[in-house]
Amino acid sequence: MKRRGRGIACMWYPIGFTVAANASAATVKVNEDGTATVLTGTVETGQGALTVLGQIAAEELGIATDDVHIVSGDTDATPMDTGAIASRTTYVTGNAVRLAAANAKAVLFEVAGKKLGVSPTELEARDRKIQVKGYPQRSVAIGEVAYEAQVVAGRPAIGSASWNPPTVPLDPETSQGKPFSTYVYATQIAEVDVDDETGEVEVLRVIAAHDCGTPVNPMLVEGQVEGGIAMGVGFALQEEIVFDGAGRQLNASLTNYIVPTSLDMPDIEVDIVESYDPTGPFGAKGVGEPTSVPTAAAILNAIYDAVGVRLTTLPATAERVLMAIKQNGSRIASGTSVL
Amino acid sequence: MNTRERHGASVFGNVLEADADMRLPALVPPPAFPIETLVPDVLKQTPAVGQRVPRSDTRLHALGQTRYIEDLTFPHMLHARIKRAGIAAARIKRIDTREAERMPGVVAVLTGGEIPVNSFGPSLQDQPVLAHERVFHRGDGVAAVAAISEQIAADALKRIQVEYEPLPAVFDPLDALAPDAPLVHPPHGNVYASRTLRKGDVERGFAAAYRIFEARYRTQMVEHVSIEPHAAIAEWDANGRLTIWSTLGRITLGRADLSRTLNLPLNRIRVIGSVVGGNFGGKNEITQEPVLALLSKKTGRPVKGVFTRTEEFTATTVRHPFIMDYKTGVSREGRILAREVRLTLDGGAYCSWTETTLGKACILSAGPYKIDNVHVEARAVYTNKTVSGAMRGFGAPQVCFAYESQMDDMARALRMDPLEIRLLNAFDEGSASPTGQVLQSVVVKETLRAAAERFGWNERST
Repeated sequence: MKRRGRGIACMWYPIGFTVAANASAATVKVNEDGTATVLTGTVETGQGALTVLGQIAAEELGIATDDVHIVSGDTDATPMDTGAIASRTTYVTGNAVRLAAANAKAVLFEVAGKKLGVSPTELEARDRKIQVKGYPQRSVAIGEVAYEAQVVAGRPAIGSASWNPPTVPLDPETSQGKPFSTYVYATQIAEVDVDDETGEVEVLRVIAAHDCGTPVNPMLVEGQVEGGIAMGVGFALQEEIVFDGAGRQLNASLTNYIVPTSLDMPDIEVDIVESYDPTGPFGAKGVGEPTSVPTAAAILNAIYDAVGVRLTTLPATAERVLMAIKQNGSRIASGTSVL
Repeated sequence: MNTRERHGASVFGNVLEADADMRLPALVPPPAFPIETLVPDVLKQTPAVGQRVPRSDTRLHALGQTRYIEDLTFPHMLHARIKRAGIAAARIKRIDTREAERMPGVVAVLTGGEIPVNSFGPSLQDQPVLAHERVFHRGDGVAAVAAISEQIAADALKRIQVEYEPLPAVFDPLDALAPDAPLVHPPHGNVYASRTLRKGDVERGFAAAYRIFEARYRTQMVEHVSIEPHAAIAEWDANGRLTIWSTLGRITLGRADLSRTLNLPLNRIRVIGSVVGGNFGGKNEITQEPVLALLSKKTGRPVKGVFTRTEEFTATTVRHPFIMDYKTGVSREGRILAREVRLTLDGGAYCSWTETTLGKACILSAGPYKIDNVHVEARAVYTNKTVSGAMRGFGAPQVCFAYESQMDDMARALRMDPLEIRLLNAFDEGSASPTGQVLQSVVVKETLRAAAERFGWNERST
């Protein structure tokens, strides 16, 4: 019969590398019509990073996301980047893009300040305009300023910057130090049905509460969480490369190496928990990797809750779950419960 | 009608409009769209941060117009395939490529001896581009062929004869630790990376504990299973300048690896990172790129290489299997007083991204909890198996499985609710981590409460 269980797991995860420099650099060019082009050495690996970087540049320049075009992934044309790794793109590359945009904006503010008769420190960029703080009616279109900067003042609005997370080397004996600049936190709760006659586990739903600092794009955060849970379900229940005694993989194909499909996916509810990290771009941290970290632990705790067996080896295949249920049953019958 | 005018003010209205635009009609029109519809015309005003902006690449993906490496082709382009060793540990006595070279359609063959610097790796350069003297695992490449079609290249691999002298191999990381175990990379020992973390005094913590829990946890080897396999095209032009289109996720490092292996100045190498169909850590370092570059140099033609699914499993990196011993002492109230962790990582044949994985696993292994006394010993061991490298989470899913399993065991033994024991121990703003770092923007308790509330955790009596 099917037995229902629930399991909880929380986690922490660092953003960026372990005590190694992992810088990003970026260049932002404001075109003479007020649109912008961003140069970054990161690549889009499907997570939506370029969209997020565009939003960060747009926010800093006070223009729309659609006004920003990203040029990425070309070692001839773009500045260095440590890459799409370690959940670092929003945080590290994002900071570089924000600082580069701020440098370009500083040129615009100087030109606009003369036009509006105020000091550059009294200006802000919003809604495609550069305006006097507190007096939004005293404004000039950003395109007009960018045009003047380039064609009249002869100072095109181009900014470059780099950023590297501040860390403190670890003591070689004790590993005491500051290995990462910041961390994110998350909790996932899984609800499962375990068939105690077959050992089969069905994950019914996963509640995922994730911290990513400021969510630059909540829709993409949700996408990352759903994808991470898919990987977590496979890690928990299905996926395993099996070797024979001569080091040969026995299931090196998708016929025998089973990954979750849409039919294996639970209902997922994503809760983005509010936080703000002062070191991130507009308070953002990251979300890529951590989404798949607590899933397997939550599912295995749910199996424990459902049928009272603790599996200490992944994956929890139906065979392993059934064997554990049978062993547990005989132990209970002989009066030596595992608990 | 102008697309810009059709879009209303509301965010959802815009998104729905954009969706309608993206639906493919029954008859596919010629791919000439007015410029305005290529970018959904939403969210024209700041703020931009915090908005649910559609991805800039959505439309091209949905219309099937995104160009992956497999979609790119160049005049006179050749196709490369790599012959895999198929033996876990051996000395290479002889490689005979003559028969393959004579095949019609085969343009060039390459072996490890032709690679200027035949080693690479992000921290230890222990990995050959093509194995030349010794094979370290079955997925090692031993020779490569460039031919006018992929099929001819694959057929030619069968005509390459390699004579091996088999060597003793080791496959289990615990076996590899034995004093008389075969050495994977002689004269070096099989433990190639380690880290110790110490905070407080675990023995004092255990002495004060009400209960001590001990368990061993194990996790398996898994593949990234990106939909798109590793793929690249190399073009070595007549000026001696190399351009590589690649699925690499780290083009800055990739260019440095190419510079080293090919002995070529950085400014003569251009790496173009293509749109990638999944990475998850599996595409963080070079694989076939130097091979394709040298085949292009030899032939004067662009050379494309796309891994098969079998190569994705056997010849690229996988997730480190972990063996984890946890010992945790708790007070009667459920506070964690001390935690001792021993991690053994099965590194496979080469170091790859093991040092990062080992470091993160070591630092994270005690969990997001306030623990005054922590001792972690972590080590990585060579085996003659598929290479363990970077994969989403860098060791964190493994240790999270262990520490969170033990949390539930402790809760049950102490008759506590699993949520309650976590809330009791979890980090607060300003808590010190196991490395002594004062943590900022800490919301682990908020995530616990938010998930529990949404799940309805307290609606069931435990």
